[in-house]
Amino acid sequence: MPPKEGYDEHRNHNLPALPGDKIALTVWVGRTLFKNGRVFLVDVFHGNELLADSVNHLLVVGFYLINFGYVSLALKLGYDVVSAREGIEALSVKVGMVLLVLGGMHFFNLLVFSRMRRRASLVNGPPPVKPDGYTRVQEA
Amino acid sequence: MTALTVLYDPTCGLCRRAHGWLAQEGKLVELVFVPCKSEEARRRFPQLDHDLTAKDLTVVGDQGEVYLGPKAWLMVLWALSQYREWSYRLASPELLPTARRVVSLISQHRFQIGRVAGMSR
Repeated sequence: MPPKEGYDEHRNHNLPALPGDKIALTVWVGRTLFKNGRVFLVDVFHGNELLADSVNHLLVVGFYLINFGYVSLALKLGYDVVSAREGIEALSVKVGMVLLVLGGMHFFNLLVFSRMRRRASLVNGPPPVKPDGYTRVQEA
Repeated sequence: MTALTVLYDPTCGLCRRAHGWLAQEGKLVELVFVPCKSEEARRRFPQLDHDLTAKDLTVVGDQGEVYLGPKAWLMVLWALSQYREWSYRLASPELLPTARRVVSLISQHRFQIGRVAGMSR
């Protein structure tokens, strides 16, 4: 039996919105990370801006790959949307998942950056303890 | 500080094992290994009490700073790029007493530990 007229119309209504929204979200978060992460990376690499920009770019590429890959895989709905309410709910679930993935990756990125920064700052750190005493050193 | 001289006990398997491990770790400060009570050790540090260095691990900085036992271990950790963070953590007032106890326990029983782990010569 062929579906009714209105049925098809509803089903197709939300579909183009799904990837469009997610691409926009991913690009927005990616750009935010790219812009604000730069200062951080320059500090990590002791002011080496070329290296910082290069690493920043590579990180953003990896970020886009993971996110678009995830969106592509998660696009499948598995059932037909017959009402506007169901469409909004389905869209909400998918967008919510993408937001959580983006949020998780964002904090993971921050964690990695701060670890790199801390490690870099340790390189010139003083000894952790005071010596027990002093002795004369005979040069070789 | 650019170099640390580590006076280690070459007669103990555990110490030689530790020496092997330290030699291959990435370092922020150069580590020079000299067997304790050796001619080389006496020549480098003529005023040091060399009987004391045989009891506990001893590390000497390039300006003559002497670190004994637990402090020596912390200095060795501090020299390693992967463990510098840990040296600060273990040197904190909360963890230093525990670090001291563990290090002196291992140090006292180093021959037994080496034998049990099959590291004796």
